Amino acid sequence: MSLRQTTHDPRTQAFILLVPALVIYAVFALYPMLNVVFLSFQKWNGLDANRQFVGLANYTAIFTRDPVFWVAFRNTVIWTLMSLVFPPMGGLLLALSLNQKIFGRNSLRAIFYLPVIIAPIAVATMWKWMYDPFFGLFSQMLTSWGMQAWIKDWLGNKDIALYSVFVAYIWQTVGFSMVLFLAGLQNVSLTLVEAARIDGAGRFAVFKHVTLPALRPTITIVLVLSIISSLKAFDIVYGLTGGGPAQSTQMLALWAFTQAMQIFDFGRGAAISVVLLLITMAVVIPYLRWTQKHEEVES
Amino acid sequence: MLTLTAKLKSASIVAMAVAALSATPALADDITLWTLNFDNNAANVALKKIASDFEAANPGTHVEIVQRAVDEHKTALRVAAGSDKGPDIYFSWAGLGLGGEYVKAGLSLPLDKYYTEYKWNDELLPSAAAFADLYPGGKRGVPFTFKGEAVYYNKKLFEQAGIKEEPKTYEDLLAAAEKLKAAGIPAFTFGGTVNWHVMRLMDVILETKCGADKHDALKAMKVDWTKEQCATDAFAEFAKWTKDYTLQPFMGIDNKQSYSLFTAGRAAMMLEGDWLVGQLDGSGANLDDYGIFPFPTNTDRLYGFAEYNYVSTKSKSPDMAAKFLDYFLSDKVQQDLVGQISSISVNKNVKYTNQKPLEAEWLDIFKKYSNVYMNGDQAFPLDVTTEYFRIINEVASGNVEPADAAKQLQSFIASRT
Repeated sequence: MSLRQTTHDPRTQAFILLVPALVIYAVFALYPMLNVVFLSFQKWNGLDANRQFVGLANYTAIFTRDPVFWVAFRNTVIWTLMSLVFPPMGGLLLALSLNQKIFGRNSLRAIFYLPVIIAPIAVATMWKWMYDPFFGLFSQMLTSWGMQAWIKDWLGNKDIALYSVFVAYIWQTVGFSMVLFLAGLQNVSLTLVEAARIDGAGRFAVFKHVTLPALRPTITIVLVLSIISSLKAFDIVYGLTGGGPAQSTQMLALWAFTQAMQIFDFGRGAAISVVLLLITMAVVIPYLRWTQKHEEVES
Repeated sequence: MLTLTAKLKSASIVAMAVAALSATPALADDITLWTLNFDNNAANVALKKIASDFEAANPGTHVEIVQRAVDEHKTALRVAAGSDKGPDIYFSWAGLGLGGEYVKAGLSLPLDKYYTEYKWNDELLPSAAAFADLYPGGKRGVPFTFKGEAVYYNKKLFEQAGIKEEPKTYEDLLAAAEKLKAAGIPAFTFGGTVNWHVMRLMDVILETKCGADKHDALKAMKVDWTKEQCATDAFAEFAKWTKDYTLQPFMGIDNKQSYSLFTAGRAAMMLEGDWLVGQLDGSGANLDDYGIFPFPTNTDRLYGFAEYNYVSTKSKSPDMAAKFLDYFLSDKVQQDLVGQISSISVNKNVKYTNQKPLEAEWLDIFKKYSNVYMNGDQAFPLDVTTEYFRIINEVASGNVEPADAAKQLQSFIASRT
C-alpha cells in the first residue's frame, strides 16, 4: 500500500486526528496518574533530592497506623451512599414537577440549576455563614420562632457536621440531576402515556409502568455520575469544615490532599489517591462497559 | 517602509543588545530574596525600598525580591530544594515545624560567623533571636518579625464580674474565670474550625502544668507523653477550660467569628497575638476598653513565634546575603520600619514614639521576657501537628478522655517512620 493510499485510509486518518489529543492526554493525565502510582511506593517530602523506594510501607501506614484514613474512608462511603439517594431523588422530583406545564417553568428550572454553576468554594462560604451558630440564618430563624433549643453547632458537632455539609452539597448538585432527568423525560413516549391512561392507569401506575422504564438509561447515568462526583467530594468539605471537627468530616480526596500538600508526605498522599482511584475505577469501568454494550445494541 | 539608515540603526541596536546580553556575566553580588507577598502592602513597599537603598549603598549589587503567596512560596522552596537554583535568602517561620523542615533538609546555612562578625546579638531582641538556636549545627536564620501572644481582656466585663486586677498567676486566672462564669460571662472565645486557635489554649496550659523544660521536651518528642503526668493533667485542664470557661459553641466557628464575638462583648478574653492591637484599632474599637496580660504560666516565658530570613546553603553569595541581612537588621533601617512590617521591631535599640497604650504594653512585655515557648504548630513536625489538632479537638468536644489523649498522641509519635 502506497503512502497516498495509507493516508487516505479512514483508520489512519482517524489515528492522525487523534494524535494531538492522545499526546495531551498522555502528558497531562496518563503521566501524572502513573507518577502518582510510582510515588505511592516511595517516601518523599518534596524537599529531598531523592525519593526513597519503600515498597508497600505507605499502604501499610494508611491502612494500619493512620488514625484518620478509615474515618475518611467511612465518610466517603456514607457520602457516596447519600449521594446515590438524595440528589437523584430530589432531582427526579423537581424534574417531574417542572416537566408539567406550570407558570414560570423555565425560570424555575434556571433557578434550581443556578447553584450548579456557582463555584463550590463560594457555596461553602455562603453556607458557612448560614450555619454560624451565633449570627447565621438558621440560628436567627430558629430564634425568631422561639426554637432556640434546636440551634446546633451545625459544623462543629462531629455527630452532625458531615450531614450539615451534605445538605449544602445537595443544594448545589440537585439541579444537575434535575436537568438530566428533564432531558430523559422528553424521551418518554406520549403515545404510551396516552395508551396507558386509556387503559385506565392512574398517575402512579403511568409513572411506574411507563415513565420509570423509559427513564432507566437516565437513572443509570445520574447514579454513576453521582457516585463519581461524590468520590471526588473535596472543595465543599474543605470550604465548610476543612475536614474537622477533629477530622470527623474528612474525606479520602481531602485527606490525600492534606497528606501531600499540607503535611508534605507525598508518598502517603499518593497511596490514598491510588486507593481512591481504584474505588473510582471499580465504579467507572462497569459503567463504561454498560454504555458500550448499550451503544452496540442501539447500533 | 524602513529606510536604509533606519534598518542599519535597528540592526546596530539589536547587535548591541545581543552583545550586551552575551557579554554580561551574572554579577557575583546579585542576591535574591524569596519572601511572602504580604497582605499589609506597607511591608511590600518597605522591603523594596530597603533593597534599593542597599543597592545604592553597595554599588554593583542587585537585590531581587521575589514575592509569592504562602502556598506558592512553600512549593517554590520545595522545588528549589531539589535543584541547584534558588534564592540566596528565603523567608520561613522559625521553629522545628515548617522552618525546621528546610533546615533539616540542609537548605539553611549556619550563620554563626555572621552573628559574630556583625554582632547581631547586640541589636536583636533576645526573645526574637532565641529561635536561631533551636537547631543542631549552629545558628540558622535571623529574625524578620517576632509575634508575641497574650490574653486580651474586656475591661468592662472584668469590672462587671468584680475582677479588680489583672491575673498574675495561673490560680488568679482560674479565679477570674470562675468569677466571670458566676456573672454569666464566658471567659474566653475561640474559633475551633481553624485548629491553631484552640491549640493556643492547650499550649499555654501545657506550659503551665509541665513547666518550661518538660514542655519543651514533650514538644520535641523527647519524652513519652503517657509517662508525664503533667501532659495528662494539661489535657484534663484544657477540657475543663473549653467546657466551663469558653463561649459555646466554638468548634464550628473560626478565629474571625471568634474575634467578632469578642469585640461584641460576648466573651471576656481572647488569646491573641500583638497584631490584634492594629486589628482592633483598624476596626474602630476603643483601645482603652481592652487590656492585655501574658497568660500566667508561672514559668517566666512568653508565648510567641517568629518569622525568619534564612541564608540558603545554595547561595553563591552568602557573604553579600549576610551583609544585606545586617543592613536590614541595622538600627537605622529598623527604626524607619517601625509600624510598616510589624508594630514591634526585632531590633532592641529601636525607639518608639506616639505609641498607643496597648502597643506600649506589648513593648514592655517584649522587653520583660527573654525566653519564649512557641506555638505547637511551629514546634511539632507537620504530621504530628495535624494529629495534635485532631486530639485537641476531640478533647475539647468531650469525645476523648485526657488520659487517652496523651496515649493517642504518643502512639502516633511512636509510629512515625
